[in-house]
This record gives sequence, structure tokens and C-alpha cells, in this order.
Amino acid sequence: MAAAGEIMQMGVREIREGLASKELSAREVASAALETIERCDGEVHAFLEVTEKQAFEAADRVDAALAGAGDAEAAVRVLDEMGPLAGVPVAFKDNMNQQGTHTTCASRMLESYVSPYTATCVQRTLDAGAIPLGKLNMDEFAFGSSTETSAFGPTRNPWNLACVPGGSSGGSAAAVAAGMACVTLGSDTGGSIRQPAGFCGVVGVKPTYGMVSRYGVVAFGSSLDQVGPFARSVEDAAWTLQAICGHDARDCTSQDVKVDFLAAVHEGAQSIKGMRIGLVKEFLEAKGLSGEVRAKVQEATEKLRSAGAEIVEVQLPHADAAISAYYVLGPCEAFSNLARFDSVRYGLADPGHKDLSGQYEASRAKGFGAEAKRRILLGSYLLSAGVYDKYYYPAQQVRTLITRDYVQAFESCDVILAPSSPRTAFKFGEISDPAQMYLSDIFTVPINIAGNGGMTVPVGLGENTGLPVGVQVIAPQFKDANMLRVGAALEQAYGPAPLAPEFAGEKAGE
Amino acid sequence: MKKLEEVLRDWEAVIGLEIHAELTTLNTKMFCGCKLEFGAPPNTHTCPVCLGLPGALPVPNKAAIESIVLAGLATNCDIEKHSMFYRKNYMYPDMAKNFQTTQGPIAFCMRGHLDLEVDGAGAKERIDLDGLNPGESGAEGTTAANVTRTEDGYVAHVGITRIHMEEDAGKMVHLGGGEGRIAGATHSLVDYNRAGTPLIELVTEPDLRTPEEARLFMQKLRQIYLALGISDCSMEEGSLRCDGNVSLRRRGSTEFGTKTELKNMNSFKNLHDGLAYEICRQAEVLEEGGIIYQETRHWDPSSKRTIVMRVKETADDYRLFPEPDLAPYDLTDEFIEGVRAKLPELPDQKAARYMDDYGLSSYDARHLVEHRATVRFFEACMAEAGEGATKLAKPVANLAINDLTARMNADASFDLEGCPLTPARAVRLVSLQAEDAISSKQAKEVLAAVLDEDKDPDVVVEERGMKQVSDTGAIEAVVDAVVAAHPDEVARYKDGNQKLIGFFVGQCMKEMRGQGNPKLINQLLAKKLSE
Repeated sequence: MAAAGEIMQMGVREIREGLASKELSAREVASAALETIERCDGEVHAFLEVTEKQAFEAADRVDAALAGAGDAEAAVRVLDEMGPLAGVPVAFKDNMNQQGTHTTCASRMLESYVSPYTATCVQRTLDAGAIPLGKLNMDEFAFGSSTETSAFGPTRNPWNLACVPGGSSGGSAAAVAAGMACVTLGSDTGGSIRQPAGFCGVVGVKPTYGMVSRYGVVAFGSSLDQVGPFARSVEDAAWTLQAICGHDARDCTSQDVKVDFLAAVHEGAQSIKGMRIGLVKEFLEAKGLSGEVRAKVQEATEKLRSAGAEIVEVQLPHADAAISAYYVLGPCEAFSNLARFDSVRYGLADPGHKDLSGQYEASRAKGFGAEAKRRILLGSYLLSAGVYDKYYYPAQQVRTLITRDYVQAFESCDVILAPSSPRTAFKFGEISDPAQMYLSDIFTVPINIAGNGGMTVPVGLGENTGLPVGVQVIAPQFKDANMLRVGAALEQAYGPAPLAPEFAGEKAGE
Repeated sequence: MKKLEEVLRDWEAVIGLEIHAELTTLNTKMFCGCKLEFGAPPNTHTCPVCLGLPGALPVPNKAAIESIVLAGLATNCDIEKHSMFYRKNYMYPDMAKNFQTTQGPIAFCMRGHLDLEVDGAGAKERIDLDGLNPGESGAEGTTAANVTRTEDGYVAHVGITRIHMEEDAGKMVHLGGGEGRIAGATHSLVDYNRAGTPLIELVTEPDLRTPEEARLFMQKLRQIYLALGISDCSMEEGSLRCDGNVSLRRRGSTEFGTKTELKNMNSFKNLHDGLAYEICRQAEVLEEGGIIYQETRHWDPSSKRTIVMRVKETADDYRLFPEPDLAPYDLTDEFIEGVRAKLPELPDQKAARYMDDYGLSSYDARHLVEHRATVRFFEACMAEAGEGATKLAKPVANLAINDLTARMNADASFDLEGCPLTPARAVRLVSLQAEDAISSKQAKEVLAAVLDEDKDPDVVVEERGMKQVSDTGAIEAVVDAVVAAHPDEVARYKDGNQKLIGFFVGQCMKEMRGQGNPKLINQLLAKKLSE
């Protein structure tokens, strides 16, 4: 039997091969994952809930199905029937409903809330045969870029425990970087997948808005939120996308677009010959972009050029307005989306007040953390009479301009290459000014505003900090296959993402 | 307090209505698949979407969109091809998401109108039509500009601002206070079965001037919705609800006064009486030099007063913004034309057809179409009468409007469609009378017997021996005998006392045990006495 650490280094394809050849059972995979979580998560704190029972039940279903297969060929057929994630250990960001689990959004408000239903993206993952390990830490209601706003304590970056893992999907990124899950799901409203993927040195994909159903994912900014995978390889991300993408009748903003992600990855390096890679001057000259990150983006560009891609410069004239528009639209939608947490039907309640508004105020004051309150108040103000016309409406106009910028830029290129964040992971408490924190999303926010897909691919360590650096590959809407091709080419040039060193050796049980 | 008539001589009332109709005939809610059912046990028709659970998303009900487009086409609205849903944010436990999904500045239906025919006593509430001849409209700029005089009243052209789509809230029950009121209650219960029920809200222009016009507008709209089959329009169960906005201004003034909003007018009578009271109340306050506050008032039918519910010091800020979970709605010409093709014959068109095809009066035609039951009855009788339909239309209409409507008004459980008076029996009944086989008085007796004893009219006539004698020979014999038996009266009649004809008719009827045809008796007596 393989050691836990060995199993947890496997990708989706290796797990499939192991299961098909019977060198591995799904129960062994589940045990390895749970053992690793047990051993490592005390330091990392990626998990808010571990679902051991569900994990073993799912694993046993995979093993039972495989038991009937006579030979490896038959086993492959069984795995194909079960789905792309058969026997793969996964975990979900804690804003995704999974029936019977707590879905807290890392907030006191929902500390005791148990989901009575399952989100579409979670259901599709489970239907694809995955082994669900549990629910992952995040910034409260996804408000943040460091996972420091979690009401249940921050997640630590496996590459350096004194550093943040990024956010808001910090738990999802850290779990994969520390080898506690093969793939995880996160959500991205302004960079919440791509920025922590970069900080933790893993692959993170935010598909085009509409590719993955949002049904059952607790909403932050409805017009911006999109679900996507974290993985240690582009191929593993593709297997996951294969499972979760596609139209859902329960989400009328989801689209019916078929993309063969695995084929795109397999075409990989060869298919980028002649592809046009766009570089944006405004991004590379942005104030606050660290030298080591800039150097890595330039290095990645050169590697793509050597692989046969053509490098072109593109313009995004309204790029600098994106953050302003985002911090209008996001809080407005969040204010309204979070109004339902009123203590009446579920969630934290502080009863005993003389009237209803007394209970509303006291419960919400106790239930929400500082960043959540800041965004609710901001949204409430921005939507109020007389203010709406000054902010919300112009922000929508800016959104239209930015969306148009991307459409025009993609007339002369097939993907855009950009940093995924201005710098590598920072230390806990290092950024305390909210406005400064908001700027860590300058390279990711515009993509949510425009609705395009973007992914982070790890490209090694920064020369000064020694921490992981990611580059962002941005695709035209619904041409998510483009970015997976380029991601695969970069991965070929740099090699697959390693586990965080501290968690790869002895700690991984080798 | 002054009477309405008196008040309206000095003041012009400006009334606008907001009318909510639940689309009760649909199978499912507006944004989820939960069943629509009135009276189900509390919270049995709910799901993550209508309970506003974290992560749930709305999906619009296409059939509801079709219903509102039907409503718009039937009320002469422009159908907006591009419109959006909005979120109206306010916190209250009957709205699980703490925002209501509704529409923004552009609704599915905009800029419609209805024409109201006002006649009879109700027309007298309008006092600014003196000097207008039938067919004439008030001059532009005058208070009667949207009005056209008719023979027995007037037609008022009432603008409709919009009809928009939204979702209903849940239902709250307050325990421990008086009469289920929130004041003094110790507990409030919420039933989310109603939450998410598709609701269309029609907003009129402030074009109504009298409580009677408001009542007629509501009545007409109800008939239209019923004909469209989009709602059961039960004011009692709350599937059709009306709020009224009322303000007064001095006759001749063109500025609007401060308005109050009136709620709880859950019947046509309450709508009329509530508005009438509020108009008189405002006049009294204004005439005493007081101020009208912009407030919401509750009509209390038992004390016949309006009571303040809450004062609106500032306009509510609902923080309306486009609903990001629902894409903008684009209606194609094809869709709109498809809905138009489904429009049934509307009450006005039906009334016009009855006038054209059957020669009914405008009054009869309109009263027939007022109730679904009388319309169906009339149509069934006309089908039954076949070739005789035109001849029998007027008596059938009379039967429906007078006798049967009176029955329905007197007995709420009376079901015209299930009652023993089938269309075939009704046609036979009016035929008997039309053929002079029975008198009108006898016809009423037969009708009562058919309804109470479930028998064919012919059987009733036979059993009670009521056949009217129209045999000229037989009547002549009686006439001769009566005239011969009363020589004194004959002499006085011939001296000029013409009133005595009644005495002779009575004597003949007595002889014939009430079965003589009175028309014939009259004719033959007159002939005999003039000899």
C-alpha cells in the first residue's frame, strides 16, 4: 500500500490509473487524505469541517463499482462511467452548500447553519465520483484577500506559515498546496481564486462568468461570482472543469457552452505555436508591482515565445477604473445579498429586544465581522436615493467600457498574460488598511468586471522573497480552452507545481 | 361631516389606484417550482428559493410573463420588449430574502387605458358635465377633458401608467393582540406558501374623479382578468387587492393636493365607501384650515372610518437596483404576437357583439358581461335556442339580469351553472312566454318551481294547469257573458268612465281562473264595449 504522502502527491490521472490497476483503492485514497488533514491542518487551518463519513461513503461507492470490473480495461470503463473525478479527494469552500454539512461562510452569523440542500457545483463534483473531504476556510462571506477576516481564525500559507495564503479562497489554495486534497473548489468575485493560487503556488481557474452554475453558492456579488478549481496541475484543473461546467436550469445566468478542457490541455504546448499572447503595458508598469513578479511575467513571456507563440502588445484604456467600479458594484450586490441574514429564520439570533428592528440590529452587529459590516454599509449608502446616480450608474457604465476594452483587445490576441497579484504572499497583519488590501486585486478585478475567464499558473519562486509567483492567463469570454492551452504550455516549461516544501517531506508521511 | 355630493361641488377629488392581482391560475410560483395553492397547511409549498436560503437563485416563470403580456394587451398597454427585474430592498419577515423582486422604471406593460361607462345613479357623483351634450367631450384643460357625455351618463378615459411583474410576500399572522392585529401581539407567525406567488401590479394615472369611477374601474379590470383567465380575482381571499391614492383640490385649481394612501378596501363597496369617506374627511380638514399629511390610512368598514396606519415623513428608500441574478428580459415580436393570438373575447367586445347580433341594449349587454356566470348562461342559452336565438335574446337577457342575478345576490351559494335551470329549460321557459302560452306572472311562478323542484317548465305548466287560454272563441264567449251580466257598469263605461275596463278584465280573468291571455281579453273587451 502506498504511503499517505505518496497518494496525496498523485494527480487525477495517477489516481485513475492506480484505481484501474487495483494498486490503489478509493478507501485508501480517502484514508490518506484524512490522515494528511489530521497531521497538517493543525498548522495550516484550511478546513472548517472535515466530513469523514461522507468521504468514506463516497470512496466505498467507487470501490464497490470497481469490484465488479474483471480487468483493468473494464475498470477504466467503470471509471469513465462514474465520471472525471472518480476516487479523487476534493474539498469545498465553505460558501458552497453541501447537504448535511455546515455552510458558515466563515461567519459567526452562520456558525450553526446546516445546509438543507446541495449546490450544483458540489453535486456535479460528487456525481463525478469525487471523495468529499470537507469545507474550507475563507474570508468571511468572501470579503477579503488574505483569509484573515474568517471568524474562525486565518489559514496559514503552507509555503511560509507566517504568511497569508491569500483570499478569499485561502483555505482552498492552502489545502491543495499542503497536499491535503487533490483538487478543491473556490469562488472568485474579484480574484479570490487567482490571487490565493498565486500566493500558494498552485493552479487556480476562474472560468468565464456563466460557465459554472452559482446555484447553492452563497452569493457575494451575483454578477461577479464564479466558481472554479484549485489543483497542482493544469490537467487536474481540467478534469474538475469537465465535471462542474455546463448549463444549470436553476441558474439563469449559466450558459450552455461546451468546452473540452482535457483536449485543450493535451494539445498543450504544441497548440500554442502561432498563438498570439497579449501583454498590457498598463499592467506591467503598474505602481506597486514588485520587481520579482514583473521579472517572472517577463520570463514566462519569453518561455511562451520560445515555444512558438507570438507576443503582441494590447491596450486596456480603462483598466485603472476597474477597482473603483468593483468597489461600487460588489458592495451594492453584497448589501442586498446579505440582507437575508436577519436572525429570523436561521443564523445567529440575539432575541429579547422590544421590537423587530432591535433584534435585527443586535443580531447583525454580533453576527457580522468588521469587513462584512464595512461592505454592507458601503453598499447601503451607494444604493440610497441621491447617491445611486452618482456611483452605481457610472460604475455600470465603466463596466460596459471595460468589457468593451477586453473584446477589442482580444481582436488582436488569443490570451492576455498578466500578473495574478502585484506581489507574493504577505505576512499576517502586514496590510491593515482596507484600501491597501483592495489594491492587491488590481490585476484580477477587471476580469470579473468584464466577465472573462482567467487562470493562475505557478511559475516558480520570486527571486527576493522565495515565495511562489503565479502568472495570470486571461481568455476571451467562453474561450476558456485558450487559457488552458497556454497554462499547459507554461506548466511544461516550468514543471508541475510542487507541494509546499514543508509539507512535502517528513510531514507528508514519507 | 358633509355629504359626498356637497363636497364634490367645491372640491375636485383626484384618485389613482394600485391594483395587485395574484396570478392564481398558474401552477407554480414566480421564481421557483413550488405549487400555488390557496389554503394549504402553512409552509408546505416552500423550497430553498422561496424561503430565501443562502445560495438559492430565482428562475422566472415563463407562463407568468405570458399572463402579464395578456393583461397588458387587454388594457391597451404598450408591451416593452426590453425590461428588467429589480430588487426592492426592505427588511420584513414576510419577505425571506429581505428584498422583493419587482420591476424598475420600465415594466413589461406601459401606457395603457380603459374606458369606463358610467351611468345611472353613479353618474351623478360627477358634477362637472353640465352643458355637455351626448357625444361631446370636455374641452382640453378642463376637468372633464377625459370624459365624453352619453345619453344616460358618460364615458371616462382612464390612463394606465404601467403593469409590472413582482412576487408576493408570505403571510403573517399576529397572535395575542386584538383581531390578529400586530398591536399588542406577543407572537407573529409567517406562512411562506404565498411567498413568491406571481403578482401583477397595475398603476393608474390619477385620472379618476369619483369613488364610483374607482369602483367601476376595479370592476371592469376584474372582468378583464377573469376573461383572460389569469387570476381568480377574489377580493375576499386577497388575490385581487386595491390601494387608493386620494387628494383634493379646489374646483378650478390645477395643482395636486397632498395625497393619502388608503388600504383594506377588500370589496367593491368598501372601495367606494372608503374613498367617499376619505374625500369627505379631507374636505372637512381642509375647510377647517387644517393640513393633510401624506400617510397611509386603513378603511375600517365596521366603524365606517379611515384610520391612520403610518405617517410617511420621507419617501421610503427601497434602494432599487437591477436584479443581477436575472438577465434582462427580451420579448420577441413572435412571442408578443403569439400571446395576442391567445386573447379571448373581452367583456367590451362581447357586449358590442350582443348589441350587434342580438339587438340588446347597451345596458343589458354590459350587465350580462359583468358576471362570468351570466355570460356563460346567456351564451349557452343562445346556442340552445339555435335559429330562435335573436328573437329570444332579449327575454333570456332579462331572465339572467333580473331574476337570476337577484337570486345570486340573495344567495351566495346559488350556482347558476349547476342549478336545475339548464339552458334548455331556460329557453323553453322564455319561449312559453314569448308564444303567449303563459303570462309573465306565470313565468315567474314556473321559474321558481323549476329551480325549487327541478322540473321541466312544461311539466310545471301541465301540473299546475297554468296554460294560458289564447283561444279567441273561448275568450269571446266569456267576454259576452261578463258584459251581459253587468249592464250598469257597461252604461257607465259608455258614459266615459274608461277606467272600468280594469273591472271587466278582472271579471273575465276570474271566470277563466286566471288563465286567460290578458292581452286578448283586453282587445276583445274593448271591441265588445265599443259596439
